[in-house]
Amino acid sequence: MAPVVSVDALRKRYRRRDPWAVDGVTFALEPGQAFGLLGPNGSGKTSVVKMIAGLLRPDGGDISLFGSKPGDPAARGQLGFAPEDPDFPKFLRAREVLDYFASLLGLDEGDRKRRIPETLAFAGLDQERRQVRQFSKGMKQRLGIAQAILGRPKLLILDEPTADLDPLGRRDVRALIESLKASGVAVLLNSHLLSEVELVCDTVAILAKGHVLKEGSMAEVVPEGRSLEDVFVELVQASAPPKHDNLPSFISDKENQ
Amino acid sequence: MRGALAVARYTLVDLSRRRILLVFFIIGALGIAAIGIGLKIFSSTFVGASFSGPPGSEPPDPAKINRFLDLMFVTDLVSALGLFALLIAFGIGMTAIYHDLESGAAVAIFSKPVTRFAFTAGKVGAAVGALIVIVGLLSVEAVLVGLLFGGGLEQTLAVEAVAQVANAVTLMLIVLALSTWMNNIVAAIVAFIYNAAAGVVVALHNQIASGNLGDNAILHGIFNVLYWVVPHQLTSDAPRELVKAELELFASSGQPGPDVNQAVASVPGPSDLADIAWWIFVVIVFASLVYVAVRRRQV
Repeated sequence: MAPVVSVDALRKRYRRRDPWAVDGVTFALEPGQAFGLLGPNGSGKTSVVKMIAGLLRPDGGDISLFGSKPGDPAARGQLGFAPEDPDFPKFLRAREVLDYFASLLGLDEGDRKRRIPETLAFAGLDQERRQVRQFSKGMKQRLGIAQAILGRPKLLILDEPTADLDPLGRRDVRALIESLKASGVAVLLNSHLLSEVELVCDTVAILAKGHVLKEGSMAEVVPEGRSLEDVFVELVQASAPPKHDNLPSFISDKENQ
Repeated sequence: MRGALAVARYTLVDLSRRRILLVFFIIGALGIAAIGIGLKIFSSTFVGASFSGPPGSEPPDPAKINRFLDLMFVTDLVSALGLFALLIAFGIGMTAIYHDLESGAAVAIFSKPVTRFAFTAGKVGAAVGALIVIVGLLSVEAVLVGLLFGGGLEQTLAVEAVAQVANAVTLMLIVLALSTWMNNIVAAIVAFIYNAAAGVVVALHNQIASGNLGDNAILHGIFNVLYWVVPHQLTSDAPRELVKAELELFASSGQPGPDVNQAVASVPGPSDLADIAWWIFVVIVFASLVYVAVRRRQV
């Protein structure tokens, strides 16, 4: 089965004197597969997904998105991307944002009339009349997920999708991922919430400082009797062992107690 | 095309809800009304006496006084219109693209199947459309104020209003282009300084061309080059007509004054086809710069 997205030796750095934010990342994602991209803050997860979505230019390596480059609008038409900390034109309302994006996706009038109310209802924003500037972070996150699924994508990228959601919202996102997987949609999930990744993802890659430390199916990465969190902490700490207990001295210093 | 229209449509919706543009529009509308009414009251109350000339001199021709007052009235209205057109150009230029890029809205937009060219075309189209609508409404108000006091110079006002919109479009495109590279307040300051410097260059070029600043060949060369690297403000014949009417009135009162033709020559005349062609070229260049900036932008 042809992968929906394949990334080969991807590299990115933001300034010439900076270290590589992404260095040699390689993976592929097939239809119906849920892939978890894990890593500590600054490990390069968001840079990877932004390059796949055509928002950042790679400095090296290759990306194939539905057999094309991410710059190809037709390829992006099959992609749904829910960014971390999503934002929208702040004087628009939720329905207008979805109508705007439906226009960009080229949805016809019939599809718009059906999909927009349904998507708003899924996101819990169907009764919302305020403009985006008055939305909470959680409401923006729900709208971010709503616009990502509006075009019925074949690849859904979720970058920290549940960071600002309440437990009910998280459960809805999990159900959404399961349902999309079952219908053959590939899901790329960036998340800090390892328990969530463990629940929904088939394969994972653990990143630190732009490198893939370990990649494989959940069974390959997480041995019997251990949790994903144990493996994650072990791998990340091994890649950059802390010099001390990392606590501020005024907290850990016994003299002050 | 579909993407550009969607971007333009929702940019117009977004702009129409921005309070700053509404505030500029209301202040502009009130300002034009106040200037028009105030000037008319002032002129009808006091100006007749001030044009009576020195004792023993011929009283000036009333038709010339009326012509002068009409032109002054139109010029003041147009100045107010120009000022608010510039404020609105800054308001739109600082927000139309910058907020999408800085807020993160561009992340969701650019991940959709829309090209950066379509995004830029939609944004620039909406910004120009919004500017034309707002300044157009203020111009209609200015014409109505003019009609309220007799009218007769609607065509002059309309031509000058078109020139003001054209000048505001140039400035707005500069702000739009700069705001994709830098903070929008810094972009507005840089654009303001550039616009002022361009105005000085054009004014000095005109003075040199009319021989008022000597015939230094090096100076001629420098300002000829500078003149063709900055945007030229488009104008109607209203400023020149006003100066001419003023000087003729002055001369008819019997007082010694400057040579009318020489003085009038130093005032910028109505823009000709070359100026309009240059404006079109400048607009294309700045719109292209906006596109290049948007295309290069990583979000």
